[in-house]
Amino acid sequence: MNWRYLQGHLAIAGAWGCVGVALLPLVHMFAIVVTNGERALSWTVFTTVTSGIAGGLANAIAGTFMLVGLGAAIVVPLGVMGGIYASEVREGRTVGAARLAADVLAGVPSIVIGYFGFVTMVTWLGWGFSLLAGSMALAVIMLPYVFRATDLAVQQVSDDLREASLALGATRIATVRGVVLRAATPGIVTGWLLALGIAVGETAPLIYTAGWSNYMPALKLTHAPIGYLTYVVWTFINEPFASANALAYAAGLLLMLLVLTLNVTARWAIARRA
Amino acid sequence: MTMQRLWANPLGIPGGSHEPSGTQGDNRYSTAPRFPTIGRETAAHASAGPIFSVSGLHVHYGGAHVLKGVTLDIPRTGIQAIIGPSGCGKSTFLRALNRMNDRIAGHRIAGHVLLNGQDVYGRGVDVVALRRRIGMVFQKPIPFPMSIYESVAYAPRLHRLVRSRADQDAAVEKSLRQTGLWNEVKERLGVPASHLSGGQQQRLAIARALALDPEAILLDEPTSAIDPRGTAWIEDTLQHLGGEYTIVLVTHSIQQAARVSQRTAFFLDGEVVEEGPTDRIFHRPVDPRTEEYVTGGFG
Repeated sequence: MNWRYLQGHLAIAGAWGCVGVALLPLVHMFAIVVTNGERALSWTVFTTVTSGIAGGLANAIAGTFMLVGLGAAIVVPLGVMGGIYASEVREGRTVGAARLAADVLAGVPSIVIGYFGFVTMVTWLGWGFSLLAGSMALAVIMLPYVFRATDLAVQQVSDDLREASLALGATRIATVRGVVLRAATPGIVTGWLLALGIAVGETAPLIYTAGWSNYMPALKLTHAPIGYLTYVVWTFINEPFASANALAYAAGLLLMLLVLTLNVTARWAIARRA
Repeated sequence: MTMQRLWANPLGIPGGSHEPSGTQGDNRYSTAPRFPTIGRETAAHASAGPIFSVSGLHVHYGGAHVLKGVTLDIPRTGIQAIIGPSGCGKSTFLRALNRMNDRIAGHRIAGHVLLNGQDVYGRGVDVVALRRRIGMVFQKPIPFPMSIYESVAYAPRLHRLVRSRADQDAAVEKSLRQTGLWNEVKERLGVPASHLSGGQQQRLAIARALALDPEAILLDEPTSAIDPRGTAWIEDTLQHLGGEYTIVLVTHSIQQAARVSQRTAFFLDGEVVEEGPTDRIFHRPVDPRTEEYVTGGFG
């Protein structure tokens, strides 16, 4: 066999080996979560609320969806509009400052954001532990990802496309809305996914802002603590009871499946319209 | 390959059913049904005289002096070709006509560009309205991130030129017929424009511009990224459109200018060296530089 062929095969084998090593922790983690959460996994997880150290996760599942959903509803318009502004204006000190601020914000530890939320919203504004305070904290965490992803995706749209639209007598706004955003959609949605995945998995900012509740979330923005899955993982894993531990693992599994579903759905949606 | 065979199966797509020539179905450029809502302002501009009258046009980009006093009239019908070597300013000239150069930082302009007697750089000119009246097709086919149908409907919708779904359908069909695309795409109007071949995408770009029923169509080297077969199709489309529209065709292919245009202007170094009927420019050029260029001496 030729030495160059051998080199090629070795390189490919090495690359595959690295893929395996990188995937190993994920597979291992998935296996542990599934095996340990098995005894708690039944349909009652979805239908009953947590009671003490046992019961189901219905309250936490509903709470996670509400917190992340409201947080996304707050941050998506802000982040996307900001990202479009930054990328379409392209120059000036404001844009540079906004990008720098977003990058710094992305680096702020989430517990700092949680405590800041506690001081400002929970106590100073007097909202108490609540859906609104938790969602706002998550929105702050998601903001830099949505902003920067939109900014980058719109910057990468070819200027030829803008010219083609402008040459048809489209205004700049119409061009952005009509062709630029469409072309940038995959990149923008990828940013949302990243942000949602991070928000779904956040614990620290919610502990300080959303609190925890054993009951199904009330449809109240303020003055009503609300449950979420990461709290279950964080608290119940340390309890000396098998039922509590199993519930924590089940919550972990649900979180992983949730992020997986988000990604697969969005990829499918993007592929279908491209 | 003769043009006739191209007609029968333009892109060599197997299995397509084509009616024999002469029937209504094969009349690719049939403009029926008529465009319902956009009336061209022909009555107002029916006067003879050029559509564009450019005089003493200078364009600078920062320190670069790209156009150095260009004076050129562009007739109302037929195809005006603009030829010249790379960097001679022919694209800049074209983009000056619909003010696409405005976007370029450090762009300065002097002189006059009159469209039907009105200075396009005059005070109070609405650039958006100006561009709506002048179609433009670029070097690369630039498919919009949307379906074939939506691509053509984009501009009429934007300018609220269509009042109903039926209006819009008719406008899309007319534009696609004018570019000979209709029979190729009528079964798959919902398919993304990016799925078409390069030549088809370029004709779709022409159809997008035609959907506004423009007074003039500017084309900036429209076939330089297209294969020979697609090029033949586009040239044929242009010749059909030349009877009805003002067409300004910038091309680096002197053969293309000779094939399709009625008038040719030769640009060199930001100046018009010579302008006149294509036949004369190619066969009896006055300036030795023109002769050298059209006989393949340089460029």
